[in-house]
Amino acid sequence: MGYTHDVKKIILVSREKCNGCRRCELVCSLQHFGLFAPAFSRIRVLKVNNSYLPSLCGACEDAPCIKVCPVNARFRLDNHAVDTDDDRCLGCLACRYVCPFMAPVISPVTKKTITCDLCFDDPSGPWCVQACRQRGALQFVPVKTAARCRANFGAQLWKRVITRGPRVTASGI
Amino acid sequence: MKILIVGGGIAGHEVAACLAGEDGLEVTILSAERHVEYDPCSLPYYIGGVIPRESVFRKNRSLYEGGNTRLFLDCPAASINSNNRTVTSSGGETFPYDRLVLAHGGSLFIPPVPGIDQEGVFDCKSLDQADKLAQCQGTRALVIGSGAIGIEVAEALKRRGYEVTIIEVLPWVLPALFDEPAGRLLKRALEGWDINVFTSERVLAVNGSGKVTGVTTDQREIPCDTVVMATGVVPGKALAETAGIRVNRGILVDDRMSTNVADIYACGDCVETPDACTGDLGLYQLKHNALDQARIVAGNIMGRDSRYPGAYVFARAHFFDTHAVTFGKTLRSLKCAPDALRIIERRRDKDYLQVIVKDDVIIGGQAIGSFADLTGPIMAAMWRREKIISRPEYSAEKLKARSSFPWMQEKIRPLFEDFGAKIDDFVKSPDAALR
Repeated sequence: MGYTHDVKKIILVSREKCNGCRRCELVCSLQHFGLFAPAFSRIRVLKVNNSYLPSLCGACEDAPCIKVCPVNARFRLDNHAVDTDDDRCLGCLACRYVCPFMAPVISPVTKKTITCDLCFDDPSGPWCVQACRQRGALQFVPVKTAARCRANFGAQLWKRVITRGPRVTASGI
Repeated sequence: MKILIVGGGIAGHEVAACLAGEDGLEVTILSAERHVEYDPCSLPYYIGGVIPRESVFRKNRSLYEGGNTRLFLDCPAASINSNNRTVTSSGGETFPYDRLVLAHGGSLFIPPVPGIDQEGVFDCKSLDQADKLAQCQGTRALVIGSGAIGIEVAEALKRRGYEVTIIEVLPWVLPALFDEPAGRLLKRALEGWDINVFTSERVLAVNGSGKVTGVTTDQREIPCDTVVMATGVVPGKALAETAGIRVNRGILVDDRMSTNVADIYACGDCVETPDACTGDLGLYQLKHNALDQARIVAGNIMGRDSRYPGAYVFARAHFFDTHAVTFGKTLRSLKCAPDALRIIERRRDKDYLQVIVKDDVIIGGQAIGSFADLTGPIMAAMWRREKIISRPEYSAEKLKARSSFPWMQEKIRPLFEDFGAKIDDFVKSPDAALR
């Protein structure tokens, strides 16, 4: 699996497929900190109404966290992910509070925020995607594909509301 | 095409940064500052020694030296001649323009009290003043005004070992951002860090002959050697008025950020814009709004039809380990009948959450402590104007389908699901909430 930074790719989450095993959290902390410690993970599996939701930075096109940071510590990497500059960050948590995904999490050691950098250094791609055993709960896809999947998801959801059809899933690829 | 940008703050430089590298554009920035672009939000942290001085600056100076951008420092604009299309600086120089961008921001509101111009009185508006304050060696400091900057400066000075006092005219701290319950909790938190907070007090005079020795309020006399004014920013309108630009509390602009005079745009702290959620005109002097507006201006200069959706209110107060967030409207800023509002409150030890709902749509809220983590999803629901109260006609399915991010609805739903039952127990009007 080659991973270049030419094509903007993001991680597409299909929450219906997640069973909350949290392998992604473990490998994320292993990749970035060399620890098996979910507290250091940049992806968090939230439990919402008896189902699971992997929550991570969506690398927004017009990211609010970059704009609200008082010391301009949030910056965009070459692979389109948004990362925190540890030297500048104060730990004021403005990025965490403005984020609609609650994605920036607090590092237990530095008390500064950490977010998904899409495993910037690793040519094999994000580790959480590779570790995920629920087929398709996490997928590393180009931005356009992800947008199409989400639009498709919305359309299917509407169809289901109108016709009381079967459950739908976000990953239509 | 000659682009002239008046003001070297965040908005002005963001316009220049967006236009950098465009062919055929000649960008000139007239900055009243003596420094290249810095971030006023970070000044309190610099004063407190949390970040080094270099971290205050946003962009490298080389960005402007290599490209099509010229930067004139210490060169405030004095008047605009919109017929000849020139701007005259206070030094008498004349700059021609094809497109003019007004991004000069505002000036500090200086309270009309005697003795305010003495040695030992600072503000936290500019880097010059912050430098002076950072070098100042004092022991007792007094902060006039308890806005976000006032609170942050108080924290910074406390970190440096000062004995700090905050004076606020209104009955609670952060009156522009928070309502009374949250304000009272924040006051208690500040006092827990040994910062004296006196609310409902008016500063009558700054004592001293040449050098500050104390401050007289209407209730007491406080000895101090350092006074910091954190009294808010008044938009600079005088320059715009010289060109006949329509102003109200700030410069009035349309949704392309252009003023009523042709080819003059305005952005940043000096403009009055509508709120993106409610449409109320007002001054939303926040950094992310300035950046948004600057990008709209740059887009329109480059010929794209960029429209500004309105300002987003999101502000944050942070001192030591207390985090507080406010978004949207506060009860104080709402001018509608109190019966039309529903207020959801949660309290847990020092943590507090208040969400204001009008017509089943969230229009504002405040959170302190662990509840602040929830503000992201709540704010997103506010910005999308989602119906949030469960009513028989809104089934969960329909609500989910309506939302582009269904899980967020679920995340914040527990906050609201017992709302219908408990509305009578809570509050029916803001007056009751404030009691």
